[in-house]
Amino acid sequence: MSDEVKVNQTLDVRGEICPNPDVKSMTALEKMEKGQILEVLIDYPLSLERIPRNAENRKHKVLKIEQISGPEHRILIEAKANR
Amino acid sequence: MSLLVLTGIPVGLAFGFALSRGRFCMNSAFRDIIVMKDYALIKAVGVALLVAMIGFALMDLTGVIAINPKPLFWGANMLGGFVFGIGMVLAGGCASGITYRTGEGMVGAMSAVAGFAIVAVATAAGAFKPVVTFLQSSTKVTLADGGSPTLANVFGIPYYALALGIAAVAIILWVIFAVRGRKAEKEEKAPLGTRIFKKGWGWTSTGIVIGIISIIAFPASAAAGRNYPLGITGGWKTLLLSFETGQNSLTWESFLIIGTIVGACIAALIAGEFKLRAPAPNVIIQTFFGGALMGFGAIVSKGCNVGHILSGVPQLSLGSILGGAFIVLGCWFMAYWLFLRPMRKLGA
Repeated sequence: MSDEVKVNQTLDVRGEICPNPDVKSMTALEKMEKGQILEVLIDYPLSLERIPRNAENRKHKVLKIEQISGPEHRILIEAKANR
Repeated sequence: MSLLVLTGIPVGLAFGFALSRGRFCMNSAFRDIIVMKDYALIKAVGVALLVAMIGFALMDLTGVIAINPKPLFWGANMLGGFVFGIGMVLAGGCASGITYRTGEGMVGAMSAVAGFAIVAVATAAGAFKPVVTFLQSSTKVTLADGGSPTLANVFGIPYYALALGIAAVAIILWVIFAVRGRKAEKEEKAPLGTRIFKKGWGWTSTGIVIGIISIIAFPASAAAGRNYPLGITGGWKTLLLSFETGQNSLTWESFLIIGTIVGACIAALIAGEFKLRAPAPNVIIQTFFGGALMGFGAIVSKGCNVGHILSGVPQLSLGSILGGAFIVLGCWFMAYWLFLRPMRKLGA
């Protein structure tokens, strides 16, 4: 995986049950400084849709969502971008 | 056992497919309200209930079905519902949620199902049965003729009239809110095949499809000797009981479960989302325990989130409304301690 963006923190929540991927992602984003990039590695379809939606609601910015393989995806979020 | 029980399989295939594509989980629907302040899933649940209510009312009016609301045993409904709600949060899914996610390859869901089925059988037919008998018999409230109370019959209104009336009010409210909250559509829509098989469904479509499956389930199951729409608990209970004892207790619901798992599996495979994956060992134990609480609660209350909320509320059963309300309360109680409070402390 090549990054154009520099990732400040990677959160690997693959295998985790609902709602741990979401809770951990939102908590991590709150603790980060504005402009820092969070990379979330996830394989749970519901959270894959819910995390971007809730991140945007909380004024973070979703930069990219890309599939790694099968259900595994990578989400890049810029913390507090719109705050 | 009538051969018509086999119609549970195609209905289950559709149900599992829709649950998977719609990411429809009532545990998330309720829990997201307080933890994530996210309302996509609860809206899907609302639409499913609305569609089912209209369908059941029309079928009841035209004699296609006769509604069969679950009994009211307020002590059992309250305790069972609350324990079920707590269990759902620990299990990471509601009864239909852990069932369909088993088909998608999630070991955490399989562990929850194991706890669910084992304790459901123990509660219905084994060590915990005395609790059920006591709670249900000591707090049962029936109509004068022994029937189960519903919102309609306690006020002497025909079921179909009240159900359609409530549905009409709900639709009017929905239209008002939809018109007010209208945003410009930014995205281009992908081709229909992609939207059905590859991407997740939106809440409106999901709710409508699940509601329609509910409607079809009622007469299908009734024809096979089980006069009730969708359910989950009874299916797992009868499958495990028959498997363990060799005595055939299988019903339409047993085959619904089989169909649901296969349907979800097929949906996940087509979408490239199937993968056998597991959480950490302590979480597997947690989901087993959560499933166990769900099994106990569902049998005590005589309904899980599907039996009470998805199927019972549209029939306006007081037992299901009460049981369903306490499922939500149990869910919120556990979600508060497990997620909301720690998140607030961390400033999320």
